[in-house]
This record gives sequence, C-alpha cells and structure tokens, in this order.
Amino acid sequence: MIRRLLHYSSPRARRLLVTELAFIVATAVLQGVAFLLLVPLLRALFLGDMTAVRSWLIALTAVGAGYAVAFWFASQFGTKASTAVLDSLLRRLGDRLVELPIAWFGVDRSGLITGIATHGAMFVSTTPYAIVRLIITGLVTPATVLVGMFFLDWRLALAMTATVPVLWFAFRWLSTGMGRDDAEHSAAIADASNRVIEFARVQPALRTAGDNSIADHLVENALQRQHRAYRGLLITGGAGIAAFAAFVQLALTVVIVLGAYLAVGGSLEPATLIALLVLGVRFTEPIANSGALGGGVAIAKTTLNQFDDLYNLTPLPEPDRPATPKDWGVTFDGVTFGYGGPAVLRQLSFTAPTGTMTAIVGPSGSGKTTIVKLIARFYDPEAGTVAVGGIPVPELGTAVVEAAVAPVFQDVYLFDDTILNNVWIGNPDLSRKDVIAAATRARVDEIAARLPGGWDARVGEGGSNLSGGERQRVSIARALLKDAPIILLDEATAALDIGNEIAIGDTLDAIRADRTVIVVAHRLQTIMTADQIIMLNDHGGIEEAGTHTELLAATGPYARYWRERVDATGWQLTRR
Amino acid sequence: MSDRAEDFFAPVRSSLAGIVGLSLLGAVTGVVPFVAVVELARTLLPALDGGAVDERRVWAIVVIAVAALFVGFAAAFTSAMVAHLVDARLQLSLRQRIVRHLQRLPLGWFDTRTSGTVRKLVENDVTALHQLVAHAIQDVVTAIAVPVICTVYLFTVQWQLALAALLPLVFAMVLYVLMMRGGVEKYRQYESAIERLSGATVEFVHGIAVVKRFGQLGRSHRRYRDETRDYVHFIGQWTRDSAAWFSVVEMVTSPVVVLVYLVAVGAWLVSAGTAEPIDVLPGLLLGLGLTGPVVKLGTSGQFLRNATKAQQSLAGFLALPPVPQAASPRVPAGHDVDVEDVSFGYDEEHRVLHDIAVACRPGTVTALVGASGSGKSTLAKLVPRFYDVSQGRVSIGDADVREISSPELYRSVGFVFQDVQLLRTSLRDNIRLSRPDATDDEVERAARAAQIHDRILRFDRGYDAVVGDDANLSGGEAQRVTIARALLADPPILVLDEATAFADPDSEAAIQAALSALAAERTVLVIAHRLHTIVGVDQILVLDGGRGVERGSHTELVAAGGRFARMWADYQANHARSRPEGVHG
Repeated sequence: MIRRLLHYSSPRARRLLVTELAFIVATAVLQGVAFLLLVPLLRALFLGDMTAVRSWLIALTAVGAGYAVAFWFASQFGTKASTAVLDSLLRRLGDRLVELPIAWFGVDRSGLITGIATHGAMFVSTTPYAIVRLIITGLVTPATVLVGMFFLDWRLALAMTATVPVLWFAFRWLSTGMGRDDAEHSAAIADASNRVIEFARVQPALRTAGDNSIADHLVENALQRQHRAYRGLLITGGAGIAAFAAFVQLALTVVIVLGAYLAVGGSLEPATLIALLVLGVRFTEPIANSGALGGGVAIAKTTLNQFDDLYNLTPLPEPDRPATPKDWGVTFDGVTFGYGGPAVLRQLSFTAPTGTMTAIVGPSGSGKTTIVKLIARFYDPEAGTVAVGGIPVPELGTAVVEAAVAPVFQDVYLFDDTILNNVWIGNPDLSRKDVIAAATRARVDEIAARLPGGWDARVGEGGSNLSGGERQRVSIARALLKDAPIILLDEATAALDIGNEIAIGDTLDAIRADRTVIVVAHRLQTIMTADQIIMLNDHGGIEEAGTHTELLAATGPYARYWRERVDATGWQLTRR
Repeated sequence: MSDRAEDFFAPVRSSLAGIVGLSLLGAVTGVVPFVAVVELARTLLPALDGGAVDERRVWAIVVIAVAALFVGFAAAFTSAMVAHLVDARLQLSLRQRIVRHLQRLPLGWFDTRTSGTVRKLVENDVTALHQLVAHAIQDVVTAIAVPVICTVYLFTVQWQLALAALLPLVFAMVLYVLMMRGGVEKYRQYESAIERLSGATVEFVHGIAVVKRFGQLGRSHRRYRDETRDYVHFIGQWTRDSAAWFSVVEMVTSPVVVLVYLVAVGAWLVSAGTAEPIDVLPGLLLGLGLTGPVVKLGTSGQFLRNATKAQQSLAGFLALPPVPQAASPRVPAGHDVDVEDVSFGYDEEHRVLHDIAVACRPGTVTALVGASGSGKSTLAKLVPRFYDVSQGRVSIGDADVREISSPELYRSVGFVFQDVQLLRTSLRDNIRLSRPDATDDEVERAARAAQIHDRILRFDRGYDAVVGDDANLSGGEAQRVTIARALLADPPILVLDEATAFADPDSEAAIQAALSALAAERTVLVIAHRLHTIVGVDQILVLDGGRGVERGSHTELVAAGGRFARMWADYQANHARSRPEGVHG
C-alpha cells in the first residue's frame, strides 16, 4: 500500500513520507528498547541495588527522551506529509481526468470522482500517520522486545518466537476473509439503497398498488440480503479478530506458564520473570489491537484502487504528426462497434460528402447516436474505419477532430456562470457583440429576456434555471460560435418545446451551406430536406438510404415510417 | 437523549443492558492479570534472598491470571460482537421504518426530493449510527470502569504512587478540553471546504466534454486547481494547528513517557523509604493503562458527533406528517370528479391556485390548458391527492378525497405522468404492479392495447425480461409499459399528462394509440401542451396565474375570441412552421 501511495506522490510528498516512516520506525524501536530496559531496572529495584537502579533509570530517561524527539518529528513530518500527499493526489486526479478519453465521461462519473477527491483522498492522506504508524509500532516494538529477549532468557524468547508464524497466518487469514465479505457487503449495500431509492421514486405508482405489493417484497428482500451480508461480515470479521487475539493471549499464556515453571525450578531469576511478565501483559494489547486496523488499510486501498483504475485506462492512440484532411467529408467503411458488448453497429458503410446534410433515422436503440459519437471520436470503432477527408480518424488525432467538429448533443452541460459566458465558451476570441448576435440566432435571446439580469443572468448549477429545450439552444449557439466545418446534431427528443424546434430549424438553415452536417433527425422538416437519408435497422445495419423523394417512391420501410410520423402530428386524444 | 431517540432504539433496548454488563465484566477481568503479576512477584520475591517459594500459590496465581486473561477477552469480545449484531438489527429496523414511512408520506413530498435525500437517509445516516451503538457503549463503560477500578486498587496499595499515576490522566484531559475549543467552528469550516471542493469537482467532471470540445480545457481545470489549492491549504493549516496539540497529548500519554515518569517517581519513593520495591509494580502495571481508554474515547468524539447529527436527520424524516387518513372513510358514489372553489399553495404565503371550480362527468374528457407555471399540473395532482387543498374541496362521487381511504382512492384514480415509473423487475410484474393477481392473458391484453406486446416479445426472455438488466427500453417504450399498467388497473378516473405522448418521437405514434385506448370510457382529466391534440375534448379549462379564466369546448372558446382563441392562433402559426411544407395532419 505504501509503495502505491509513494507512486502517486509528488517528490516532495515522497521525501516527507519516507522521513515520516523512518521516524515512526525509530520511535517503535526506541519504545522496544525502553521496555527492555525495564527488565534490569526492576531487577535492580527488587534486589534493592539503588545505585544500579539510578544508572538504569538514567539510561531509560535517555531512551525516553530520544523517543519523545523521534515522536515529535514523526508527527511533524506526518502532518506535512499528509498535506503534501493530499495535494499530490488531488493534482494527479485533475491532471489524469484531462487526459482521459471523452467516452469515459459518457456515464456520470461525478459521484465517483467527487468521492475520490473529498473523502477518499483525505482518508488516504491520513492513513500513514493514523493507521500505518500503529501497525508499524504494533510489529516493530514487539520484534525489538523479542530480539532483546534472546539476551535475557533464550528459552522464553524461543517459545515466543514459535508463536510468530501462527500469528502471521492468523492475520493473513483474517484480512482475506474480511476483504471478501466486505466486497459482498458493499454490493448488498448498493443493491439495497438502489431498491429504497427506486421505492421512493415510484411511490406514485405504488400507491395504486397498495400495501404488500411486488415492490414491497423487492425492497424488503434487498434489505434482508444486506442484513445477512452485514451479519456475515461481522461474524467472519469477529471470528477472525477473536482467533487472532486468542493466539496473542495464547502466546502470553505460554510465557506465563513456562516462566513460572522455570522460576519455580530456580533456573530463571524471579526479578527477570516479573519484568518479562510486565512486558507481556502490558504490551500484548497493541499487537492484539493491530488486527482490527486492517480494515482502515482496506478502506485506503479502495481509493488507491480507483486511482489505479484511472491510470490503467488506455487513451485513444494519437499520431506523432497529425495528417491534414483533404476536405470535410465523412466516410464509414465496414464499421463495427458495440461499447465492448454486443455490436450496436455492424459492418456499417456510408459516405457523407463534404458540404452536404445527412439525416440518420431509425428505431430507438438502432445506433443513431453511436454514429455521431464515432465521428466526434468519443471512441474508435472495433472494426473498420471512420475517416474524415479520406484520412482515418486515428491518423488525424483527437485534437484535429475536436477542432473540426461542432457537436450539438442532447446532454448539454452548462457552467454555473452567466448565460452569455456559457455561449462564449464556443469561441472566446469573439467580442460580446458577436456572441450576442450568434446567441440571438439560436433564440437564446428569448431565454435572456425571461431571466432577471438578461444576458448576465446566472444559469444555476448545471444550468438548473433553464429547461431542457433552452439548454439545447445554448448548445446550438456555442456550435454557431465555433464555426467548425463539421456539424454533428442530435435533435432533441423532447419535441414538446415548439420554440426549440424552430430554433433548431433556423440554425440548420443558417449553417448548412458549405458544411458537412450529420444529424440524428426527428423533425420531419429536417429529414425531408436532407441531401441524404440513412435509415438504420434493428441489427446495426442500413435498411435504406437515399433522398426523401427516392425513398418515398420506393414505398419501403422508410415510406411506412414517414406515413406513421405524419399521422402522429395530427393526433387528437379523442375524436368525435 | 430525547423521547424520540429512545423510540429509535426501542427495537434493541433489551440488548443494551447485556452490552453494558459484558463490557463491565470485560473491564473488571481485564485488570485481574495485572494484579496477578503483582501477586506473583510478591510470592516469588523470597527466592531473591534464597528463601522458599510457595509453589502451590504460584500455580494458583498462574491459573487465575490465565483464566482472567481469557474470560476478560471473551467478555470484551462478546460485548463488541453483541453490540455489532444489535447495530445490524437496528440498521435493518431503521431502514424498514424509512421504507414504511415513505409509503405514508404525501405524494407531493416526492416532487421536490431528489434521490440524494433518500440515499443519504438509508446509507449515510443509518450507517453513522453504527458508532453510537456498536462502539460508544463499550468505549464509555471501559473509559469509566478501568480508570476507576485501577485507581481504587492503587490507592489501597500505595497512595503516593497512585496520585502520581493519576497526573498524566488529568493532564491529558485538561489538554484535550483546551484542544477542543473552537473545534466545532473549525469543523464547520471543514464541511464547507469539502462542499466547495466537491462543487468544483462535479463541474470539472460534468463540463470536461464541453471544455475539451471547445478547446477551453485550461479554464475549467483552473477552477478545480484553485479550489483544491484552497482546500489543501485549509487542511494543512488545520492539521498543523491541531496536530501540535494532539502530538503533545499523545506523547504525554504514550507508554514510554508514562513509564519513565512512573519508574522515576517509584524509584524516588523507594530510595526515600516511603515505599517498598514491590509497591512500585502495581503503579507501573496499572498506571500505564489509565490513559488509553480515555484517549480512545476522545478520538471517537468526531464519530459520535456525526452519529448525533445523523440521528437528528433521521428523527426529522420520521417526524414528517404522513397523509392524514379519515377516521370513518367514505366510499365514493359514482365517478364524477368535482373541484369546488379550490385554492392551494405549497406554503402559507404563495397561493398557486385560486378559487378554481370544474366538474368532470364520467365518460368525458376535460383538458387543462395554460402557460407553464399557470398551475395546470398542480390542479391535476390534487385529484390523486399528491397534495391536500388549502380551501374548498376535491371530491370523487361526492366524497371528499380526504375522506376516502387510500386503497379506495387509488382504485378509483389512475394517473400517467411524464416521469416513467418502472421497477427493476420483470416486465410482467411491472405491468401487473397494481393487480398482482392478473393472469398472463390479462397482462398480454393490456400490453397489446398499449402497443408494447410485440416489443416485449423481441426480448429473449419476453415478459420475464428484467427492466434495466436484459430489457433496455427507450423512453417511449417505457411509457407504453406504464400505460399498459394503467390499462390493467382499469381505474374509472384517469389523470393524464399529454406530454407523455411526445417523450420519444420514434414511438410517438404507438404511444398516441395507447393513450387513446386508455382515455376511452373514463372520467379523464388531461394536462394539455399541444392544443391540436385536444380539439375534440368535451371541455377545456384555461388557467392563467392559478385562476380559471375560461371554460368551454374548443369551438366555443375559439368563437368567444378570448385568451384561448389567441393561444390557438399563436399555436397554429408556430405549429405550421415546425412541420414540413405540404404535410397536413
């Protein structure tokens, strides 16, 4: 664990940590020496040799003073080291996040990362002093005493040494057992909380179901399972700790019985025995307790494992020298992709020539959004190539693709800043006037007019003051500012907001010329006016492709789809 | 602890005495081996001067010491184990209470609560109580019993040394109190620092895609770095300040320092002739163990504070008033819905609805129309009693909804809103949620009517496919499953959000068909967004600022030339623009 901690630490934190650990070992050794000095001291005391008592006392005080100094430095370096480690962990975390492929952020990672940044990093940074120190002391001090024992009475020392491997195995067994049950318990906790949250979320539906519904059983079973897992963890952990502590007591019993036997037989001086027993009964406690500290290390390891996971992710390959595309057309050639699972796209090939608009339609789950994400290089395909301007995307590199593509996706993130600044991100080089002009084209002016403070109104955390449709308008405005040659548009499925639909339509009209536009289309207007329509099927392939007129004339699946959609626009809840 | 807190621990109170008793036994027997070593020394000492040793006494002491060692350990261990198992039981019972309470809260409570609130209750708060039950009792008993027993014993042996042994304990306690001053304030600052850091981290993670795409990486990264720098600075300052105190306390109470101090005092007393050499031994053995339990209690203070806070938050949740139930419930006579002069506000000051009246007859459709914020969703939610009215009444079959028992009310009123309410269980169980006794045939019929049967059959396990596991549904498909559920429940009164139909453009037509099937032959109240979908309904209630401004059929309202007529004209203009030229519904 310490090795991994050092790995993630800055050179300064590493130096501080190593110094801290050195002082901790020193305190532990000095503590052992102090305990050992008790043997001759007590012996002299019982024999009434006050001169000897005085000299041993001076020696003990000197060791005690050394211990206090080492202790002080250990704590001072410990404080500095923990702050430095905290700093390096947070820095490494931030730097790594920047390097990770964008696809990794496709699911919400904020919970995980916030957990690491706040409590995780804090816990790890305090572990060396709060936990590792106690473990080191629990091991090094008894070891020092044991070594010293050989000089005092080799028979007792040998008897104690014999218990060491037993204790070691007991400790290992305890740690692995607890680790396993802890994993099971964590899974059960997650499952149970998800069930309770689900239970709360679907309360309206459950009121209709009444008491004792299916949901009641689901949540009760999950709670019982968690209870059982927790009890299992307690029993394994309890049994392990009991066994470990029992072995420690057993070792002590051996010393007491053997010591008493030797003392009664006259071959061990009573003063030495008494001193050794003082050591035995007083100082086995920390060893027995160190068994329980393993849990703290396990918690710290969880965070370090999360760090390892972050660093084990392989970023997408980048070229040494990015190639230059000849134009901005997009080509898919035999592309297969499935997010690591079953293929969503299978052997998909099509061309979206530069300066044209391609509309992608198809049933939900057919991979429409996946196509757009592959062009934006969230991922590289598992087989086949995605090319821009005739050059495979990996040879262009992520930076070139990112610069060439303006994405308008459904999951729009807004910073807790003003509405204008949120648009401005699209191109910080422009003037305020230009930004407002572009924002107005995307109908963001309507939002600004609604909010107190106008263009300088804050959008709230994550844009919470704006509706879904309004957020997408901001996203469109950003794309307008960016003025990139390829536009990727995932039309909002929340077709409810007519104002938003019109904004999308106007924007498309404004930017279509000279640009390659690829749009996951829902609006009939968009679909109809596209230069090319690609209709996907359920199996990740292309069902039909062509222009609106051609496809309607073919009276195939597209024509059926079109008919259904047109009918839907005229739907009335009741007809009389 | 308050009465509420007592109530909290009621399920486990009988075990608490056992935990205290065992902890006490453990503390007492834990002291015995130390006394035994002293007695062993007393028995063996004559051998130093070549005298005879009472062998039987030696072995008796050895047996007692070893027995006490194991009994003491067993008692302490059993007490800890019992405490943990009791904690497990308490956690289960609390989680069950939370679930039961969720079931009785007004539905309106769930509107504003994110899953975060519930997660905090069942995960963090319940777990935070762990320290209180599983550790605090034993810690407190030990921290009191061990020093008391040891001190009493030491005073009977040699009072000067006993006094000397108490000194580090007193010193540690004084320092500890000094150290804790201002601790609460610092802790509050720590919590707010954590909050700022997690805010910056969340924004960094969420925004990373945006900033990367627009080449603005530095900006967002900078905020994260600034926040982390401030945070690390604060933590550094705090630990530096408190660590100095802590190290002093820890050092003063450390075995080595106490050892040197006690040996020095003992040696001085012996050479002054005040004490016998053997009398030094008890002070040394027991004096070393005095401070340990107290220091341990001090360090667990933070956990206890968290536990207390968690307990307050749980008590606050459980004290939330449940939906009031009528003492003598009424059964609705018929399926008329009458809204009579209803006013409503989420709090005392802000009225959302003012004096609204509307009557919905069985077999008719009433549409609620108005701008967002006009109160149409709130009004609709009063019928299934998400909230209770402030004035006036909402009645079903002439019975006030507040006087109808919950099971009866929800048998009469069904609702389909925009948020999809599916459970992670089989599709079959999701459909028959409110009618668990429904046959497979009935489930299938409902699914067919809701236009989702064919889709379900395309899953490998069909109706047994589990939502979220092997049944991944699009928004529109999930909507159709909830519509199938409502069809199977077959409530005579239905409250509907028409926006449901537009959740997923690709299955819009299917959802529309499902909704039309659902709306037939019932008392229907629909929240309308797209005016053309309600052209044919029986009556339209136009809301503005929480007041009913117009009421009538589509034709009547258009002819009246009032607010609705203007809305209709605007709507038609926009709607025409949003549809392709040459396409007419």
